[in-house]
Order: sequence, then C-alpha cells, then structure tokens
Amino acid sequence: MTFRYLPDVALADIAFEAEAASLGELFEACARAITDIMVDPTTLRPTVGRDIALASDDSDRLLYDFLTELIIAKDVDSLLFRDYGVQVSSDGRSLRATARGEPIDRERHSLRNDVKAVTMHMFGIRHEGSAWKATVVLDI
Amino acid sequence: MAQTSSFKQLSDYSWEIPRSYKEGMIVPAKIYATRKLLDGMDAGVIEQVTNVACLPGIVRQAYAMADAHWGYGFPIGGVAAFDVENGVISPGGIGFDINCGMRLIRTNLTFPEVKPKVKELVDLIFKLVPAGVGVKGFLKVSEPQFDEIMKYGVKWCAENGQAWEDDPSHVEEGGYIKGADPSKVSRQARSRGIDQLGTLGSGNHYLEIQVVDPARHFDPDLARHFGIVQDDQVLVMVHCGSRGFGHQIGSDYLRVFDGAMKKYGIQVRDRELACAPFASKEGKDYYGAMVCAANMAFTNRQIIVQRVREAFSKVFHRDAEAMDMHLIYDVCHNVAKVERHTYDGTTADVLVHRKGATRSFGPGHRDIPAPYRSVGQPVIIGGSMETGSYLLLGTQKAMEETFGSTAHGSGRTMSRTAAKREVRGAELQRKMMDRGIYVKAATMDGLAEEAGMAYKDISEVVETMDRAGISKKVVALRPVGNIKG
Repeated sequence: MTFRYLPDVALADIAFEAEAASLGELFEACARAITDIMVDPTTLRPTVGRDIALASDDSDRLLYDFLTELIIAKDVDSLLFRDYGVQVSSDGRSLRATARGEPIDRERHSLRNDVKAVTMHMFGIRHEGSAWKATVVLDI
Repeated sequence: MAQTSSFKQLSDYSWEIPRSYKEGMIVPAKIYATRKLLDGMDAGVIEQVTNVACLPGIVRQAYAMADAHWGYGFPIGGVAAFDVENGVISPGGIGFDINCGMRLIRTNLTFPEVKPKVKELVDLIFKLVPAGVGVKGFLKVSEPQFDEIMKYGVKWCAENGQAWEDDPSHVEEGGYIKGADPSKVSRQARSRGIDQLGTLGSGNHYLEIQVVDPARHFDPDLARHFGIVQDDQVLVMVHCGSRGFGHQIGSDYLRVFDGAMKKYGIQVRDRELACAPFASKEGKDYYGAMVCAANMAFTNRQIIVQRVREAFSKVFHRDAEAMDMHLIYDVCHNVAKVERHTYDGTTADVLVHRKGATRSFGPGHRDIPAPYRSVGQPVIIGGSMETGSYLLLGTQKAMEETFGSTAHGSGRTMSRTAAKREVRGAELQRKMMDRGIYVKAATMDGLAEEAGMAYKDISEVVETMDRAGISKKVVALRPVGNIKG
C-alpha cells in the first residue's frame, strides 16, 4: 500500500497515485496521502476515532465521497486523521471505515496545505494485474 | 508549448483559433497574448479553450486572457458567455473557489509613516484574520443569519455593524448577487462555511500592505478618482474566496452534473467540463447555490477588511475613518453571472463565466458605482507575493470584445513541489525581508510554494491587456507587508 506524488500533473495543485493489493487498502492509501498533504503525519496522535459508513453508485464515486468526508472533517470538526482502516464491499459500492487522529493543534502539528476539494481530473480507480491503482488530483 | 501555426494573428496582442481547429467548435476561440506569452502558454490552455468553444449555447467566442494557464475543464484566465435559454452552466467554468476575488482599500497614510509599524501591523492582522489549514473565524453567526448572508452578502454586513455605509456600493453587484437559493446548499457545505467568515484560507490567498510605486504611477489623474493621491500612499489588498463553503458547493454539484450529462445527452471532451442546461433543474439549482457561495465570499472579504481597519486603528491610535480606510473596490474572479451585453448586433442577457478572469466594465456602465462611473470599473490584478499588484480600469473595448472581461493575475509556471525544491520557506522569508517585505505565513512550506519565481511575469500580462485595450493601467502597488495563508 503506497502513494506517490505526481508533481507535473497540476502546477497549482497536488496530484498523487496510490497503489494497493485490495480496494480497502487503496482507499487507505489515498486517505494517508491526503493526510500527508495537509500535515506531517508524524506530528499527529491517534487520540480521537471516527467511524465512517458510505454507499455510492460505483467505486469511483465512493472514493470521491470518502476523501471528501476527510476534507469536511478538517473544516467542520478541525480533525486530522493519521490511521485508517477501510473495508470496501465486494461490489465496490459501500464502505465501513475507522479513522483515528486528533483536533488541529497549531503549536504541535506541522501543518502543510489546506485541501479545498477532490477534482474529477484524471480521477478514477483501475485494476492493473493484481494491483488496484487510483489517481487523484486535489484542488489546493 | 502550444502549436500555434494555424492561429490567425489579429493584432500584436490577440490571436484567433478558427472553428476548423477542432471538430465540434461552435465558435472560434480568442487568446489575448503577445507572441512571447503565447509561445510560453502551456498546450493545455489551447486544448481547454477550444473545448469550451464546443459547449452547447456558447456565443461569439471562447476567450483566454494573457494570464491563462491550465485549469480544471476551463483554463484559468478563461471567459465564456452562454445563451440563457439554450446554453449551459458549468461549475468547471467557475472553479471550486466560487467568487475568489480581490479587494482593495486605501489609507491616507504614506510609507514613511507606516514603515516603522509594518511588523506590528502584520503580526496583529495575522492574529485577527485566521489563515491556514482548517481555521475558523471569530465572527459567530446563527443558521438563519448565515442564510441571510448567503442571500444579501455585504448588504447584510452593512445592516449588522460589519460594514461602512459606502462599502456595499463599492463591491461588484452592489455587495450581493441576486438569485441566491439557500435551499440548494447541502448540509455539509453549510457546516464547512458557517464558522469560516473572516478567514483567509491557504494556497495562493494573501493579505498585503502595499504602497503606490512612484515609478509606475501611470495615470495620477485617474488614480485620484479612487482616492489615490500620492506616491508611497499605503493601501491594503485582500485575495481570498468562499473558503470551504464554496469548495463544498463545487464538489456537491460536480457530482450532480456528472450524472446530469447523461440525462440531457450532453457529451464533453473532459469530465471537468461537466455542465447542464442553464434552464434545467440542475442548472438552476447550481446557480442558486453558487450565488450563495459568491455572496458568502463577498462577506468573508468584508469581515476581513473590518479586522484590518481595527488593526490599523489600534496600531496608529486613530479611527479608521480618520485614516480614510475606504473600500476602493471588490471584484470577483471566479463566478458566472447573468449580464446584459451587446454582441453580434443584438443586445441580450447572457450567462458570463469568468474563471480566473475579472469583470472590466467600461465608462458609463450603470453597474459601476457613481463616483467611478465616468472613468470605468476598477480592476484589481493580484501578482505574486514578491512582484506586486496592479489597479486598472475597465474599458469600452472590453465591452465590445470580451463581454466586459480581462485578466486576473499572473498564473503559475512552476509546480508546488518544484518551488519547494528551489527555495526553503525560511530562506525566502529572509530574502523578502532584505527587500523590504515583511512576511508572516501560516506555514513555511506554503510560503516556499508561493515564491515569486513560481509565477509568470505579471507586468507582461498587465501590459498586454492594456495595449490590447481590454483594461487600462492606473497604478502599480508594491508589497511591504504580506500575510500568507
């Protein structure tokens, strides 16, 4: 389960590609990438937990909605998460996730970029060989 | 680099891409640029502006301004007008940060008076105007009040002690766009926005203390109309938008429109160009929600300016009124609005999308505040942190050629990652201090990403739009204090 940045995709914004052995792990990798963009994750402590349950039309939209939930949690509840556990249903249309992190502490957290939104540019999940891959471009 | 051999050169500053360039183009595309700017434009701009020219109901031309660069769906620096009956509305033609815009206020102070206090001022404003990841504002409003803000923007501020009497009339559209429909705004968007009034945000947003550059005080007579009466006069510029509220409305409707495309049988060349007929339910719902975000953004910038007035008052021990801290103007550069224009021999209402583009109405237009009506609408162009910004005026030629629109800023040429590789935040902060610019940033990474070298030369963009006659240079403003989100 990994992610890597794609610096040449969107000059003003941040793009990444995630790769994992299962859909659930792919969602976790994408969530970890969003965390890494917003804050140095090593400065976060997993003191607060949140359960997330979502259903959508297809796995692409499910990922879009899941990542948007994390952005909403940052703005509405000032929560940034570090650890994720995601289980995606076999049809790829629903998930149950737990996210652990803590409220933003400007003194202790090494904050980075404020993510505005997930864009549809190049957005999508694909299955290549035995790996699941996703490309995500975030508006900063 | 763009392939430009099939373009028709219209002047030293404009180019036409004919309909034959791409199958499906309903209208030609027009680019405002010098040869040098055109050669430097990324190929994505050409691809995108010609994609826009294929959208249903587009009228006359699709435009890319001199600062154009690749965006989502539409290029940033893009303008397109659509027939209100048969045309579409596209969130990609507005951007996620609905009504991101610029606001400029003046003071009667000069730089020699302010210089010893710049650090104190910047440090105080940094406390009063929260910036950075996930920040919340100090102004607390109830849900019903937030609904009123969505509908009435700066007019609400004036009625609730958050604006001076003449503030609303010095904001585009008089401080609020009509047609807001709060019932079309999701619960999530409300939750993201209600606590964010008076916050600067992050990315390329900033608040700057600026001074009139004596070497580039192009037209002192025109500048006087805006209360700019001397070299080294101090002004304050604010660049920000509708924060998480607008971003969530953008996200919500991008999903809605992704589905609506099938329903209306519309095919586009890029998923980010998702659109729906303006007259459809989806189109009307998005417009009603988008206007709510636009009015929230006007309010956000207004609340920020109130805090700036407070800070100056505290530091200089004088009333803000005594320092003549009036609003010069506030312009949107990410919005779609119904406006009446004359084109191709007819006068009609059209839905003008401006994404990274500024309204540039010429002299005499009824929507320009009375004190400025004889000279034209103020156009505020933000540069990078290091290079400075400009005040321009709208022109009659913009009314005739571009649905009253011009450029908005300088545009990035380097990725955030590359900028961070080139310079460290702390080092940039020191270098800027050496050049007389005191910067306070929410994060050092964010500061490095916004380094001046990551942006196009704003002077060439402004010069191009001035020589093309689409806006007129009045004065350049150089930064002396900067707050970076």
